[in-house]
Amino acid sequence: MSDSSIIWLLLASFGVAVLVLASRPWSGRTAFSIAAVPPALTSVCSIVWLAAGDSLTASVTWVEGLGLEVAFRIDALTALLGLIVAGIGVAVFVYAAGYFSSGAAGLGRFAATLLAFSGSMLGLVWADSVWTLFVFWEMTSVTSFLLVGHKYADPTAQIAARRALLITAAGGLVLLAGLLVLTGADGSTRLGALQPVGGTTGAVAAVLVVVAAATKSAQVPFHVWLPGAMAAPTPVSAYLHSATMVKAGIILLAVLQPALGDTGPWLPLVVGVGLATMLWGAIGALRQTDAKLILAWGTVSQLGLMVALLGVGEGKATFAAVSILVAHAVFKAALFMVVGEIDVRTGTREIAELGGLWRSMPVAFGVAVLSGLSMAGVPPLLGFAAKEAGIEAALQLGGAERAVLLAGVVGGSVLTVAYTLRFLLGVFAGTEPDGLTVAPRRPAMTVVSGLLGLASLVGFVLLGVVSDRVRAGAVRIDPAAEAYTLLRWPGLTTAFAISMAIVAAGAVLGLVLVRRDSAAPRPLGADAVDAMVTVTLRSARRVAGVVQHGSLPGYVLTAAVVAALAAVPFVTEIDVDTLRPWDSPAQVVLGAIVLGAAIALTLVPNRLGAALGLGAVGFAVAGLFVVQGSPDLALTQLLVETVIVVGFVVGLGHLGRDFPRFGLLWRQVRIAVSVLVGIAVAAALAAAGSRPTGAPPRQALVEESVETGGGNNIVNVVLTDIRALDTWGEIIVLVAVSVGVVSLARAGRDEQAGQRDRVAPETERELTEVAS
Amino acid sequence: MIAERSIVVRTGIELASPLAVVVAAYLFFAGHNQPGGGFGAGLVLGAVAALRIVVGLSAPRRPVVLMGIGGVLAGVVAIAPLLFGDALLDQVVVDADLPVLGTVKSGTALIFDLGVTFIVVGLVVAVLLALGGDELAGEDRS
Repeated sequence: MSDSSIIWLLLASFGVAVLVLASRPWSGRTAFSIAAVPPALTSVCSIVWLAAGDSLTASVTWVEGLGLEVAFRIDALTALLGLIVAGIGVAVFVYAAGYFSSGAAGLGRFAATLLAFSGSMLGLVWADSVWTLFVFWEMTSVTSFLLVGHKYADPTAQIAARRALLITAAGGLVLLAGLLVLTGADGSTRLGALQPVGGTTGAVAAVLVVVAAATKSAQVPFHVWLPGAMAAPTPVSAYLHSATMVKAGIILLAVLQPALGDTGPWLPLVVGVGLATMLWGAIGALRQTDAKLILAWGTVSQLGLMVALLGVGEGKATFAAVSILVAHAVFKAALFMVVGEIDVRTGTREIAELGGLWRSMPVAFGVAVLSGLSMAGVPPLLGFAAKEAGIEAALQLGGAERAVLLAGVVGGSVLTVAYTLRFLLGVFAGTEPDGLTVAPRRPAMTVVSGLLGLASLVGFVLLGVVSDRVRAGAVRIDPAAEAYTLLRWPGLTTAFAISMAIVAAGAVLGLVLVRRDSAAPRPLGADAVDAMVTVTLRSARRVAGVVQHGSLPGYVLTAAVVAALAAVPFVTEIDVDTLRPWDSPAQVVLGAIVLGAAIALTLVPNRLGAALGLGAVGFAVAGLFVVQGSPDLALTQLLVETVIVVGFVVGLGHLGRDFPRFGLLWRQVRIAVSVLVGIAVAAALAAAGSRPTGAPPRQALVEESVETGGGNNIVNVVLTDIRALDTWGEIIVLVAVSVGVVSLARAGRDEQAGQRDRVAPETERELTEVAS
Repeated sequence: MIAERSIVVRTGIELASPLAVVVAAYLFFAGHNQPGGGFGAGLVLGAVAALRIVVGLSAPRRPVVLMGIGGVLAGVVAIAPLLFGDALLDQVVVDADLPVLGTVKSGTALIFDLGVTFIVVGLVVAVLLALGGDELAGEDRS
């Protein structure tokens, strides 16, 4: 079943984004309500799709010759993920309208970028072709870079955005390589039709894909960009961390699991990376004092859990991973919104400066408790049922896998409970510190976070519905997931006992650590990334300084020598028999004029004389074209010469009358290079003439141009019809060149006028900022 | 102003301009069957426009606009066939019986060529102005 509504929904996202960006009247907070329309429509459609349970596809031919398609597929999994992306998207837009003050700058730009990001994420989720997936994957990297760097004047945001882009874009390249290996082995580019790949090819593809997923989903050791991305406004954090960007890697692993799950490196790599991330993220969360950073590190940890469960490649574990993904999207979005509200109303996010907010911010407190406990896996909340499934999945495994996964999940969960408690108690418990003022409530923020907070509870109440949808989605990844459901009351099982033990142990740990102030260390690896950026910029500047030295004679000489050397291989192909002195006497005369003018050109001391000499050469060459029977070429040559004369008229006024004097050595160098180039061009032309490649298809061209082009001038028909694509490309080049020439000429004159070069100090500033 | 100093040049260019336009038009339409074409026509018009600016006569001063028009024209002709299910840049040839001129044969390639002309005019004007034409046209630099 084909359905173009998918494509319309995507077009709506990007179209409205452009509209919002372009329209000034909507640049205030109105922009958010307009931007919320496409995700709202998408949410409605997703719910319909989920209810219908059909599988829909849509595709558009992209490049016909290469078999490239922009293809999408809606099934139980992608509809569920799309609902999360769009649904939380709507919430984030409404929330943002409350978060920003009405006078804040750049709201239209922000709303447009957020909407474009949302559209990219939907495309990524719905993609059915690996190349469609890749394109949208890269688009999320770019748009999230813009979002993280929204406050572009702020150096922290600059560094964070650059770090995020560096890591996720590098991951994108790795993904491209991985997809090439995968499709090369498999032949199919449809995600739904990928066959399991084995052997070395599969192993290489698996490693590349896992690395790419790890960069996007902030797995150890690529997690350093995510906490830094907290420099973004809170709505962005809520969106990126709960529903979208960081889930992209999980989605990638999920959709490629059927093809790559059986390869050797997949299981140890994915499970190992996931568990390491879960533990390291939870430890990181415990060491933070900024409430938003606690949650950010918590996201890293939760993502690790999902990755580890997906890596196991067993029905129950896959089912648990999808359940946790859904539960996490709900509670993490709500928690970030609460922190954003605290930030806006109190002006701080440091838990040392907060406390006792349960009294003054009761709604936020309620939301935080519900969502926090869901995160900690406490009943009766959605997070509990999901985590319970995870523990069950670990228990079902056998041997070493069981021990490793169980140890990781239990350890990580204990730490999760601890940092949740640290966050909740640190912000809400006790009495308010002196000097803390709480600004009045902003309804948009409260309502949205309140609804999302309740969703964790409602999800548990309606566990049957959630469970059905999750199961349907998980089946797409692993058919064995069919057998499982989320349990509201699992009974007194081992898993339940472990669950309760985790909560108890975590509570104790959290109470011990709650008021312990630890100096928040820089995230491990951030220094390495920053050093890399610094070194790249510095060496780029050094290389540019050598290559782009700014000396015009230097460039001309280099180009001429290189071109001359390129002609050397052809010298041996010259066939002396084909060389004739001339075809007609007129050529002798014209040739003599060209030579004479060229020699005179080198001898005249002033610029006007040189210009005249050049003109003489040009017009004589045009005459040669006429003699040779090429009137079109001659006409163009004449016209170009004319324009060049006008150019001299305009330009000579700015230059001195005479050429500057050169030293003897420089003169000799120039003479040597001129002779070399002259010989090389002559040799290349002689070689070309020695190698006729058959008679020109003149007759065919004449017929073709009269019949299809309707014109007798073959040259022009070729230019405007038969090879019109070339002409089109050339005029685009012309426009680009003129832009370049104009800006160069203006820059040169500005410099002459005494203005300082503005590029270098800017680079300098960048470098010092990165280094600091 | 250069125009005040050299009245001969100014008058000469003023007189030559209409002729240049006629030559350009001839080249443009002749290109179909004889030497000529949009590129040549653009060069002629561009050179004349630049000279007019230098001596202070009226001429289009925003080359970007010209290039924009040219780009849109060529782009529309290039992409339009896609909307009708044809290949990119597929051209349509039309025969028309006009009074005076007799049977005239033309096609969408002509519009494409017009786009080329506009771009070349814009290019020539832009480059010549950037090389110093606008200063010559402006205050006299003694």
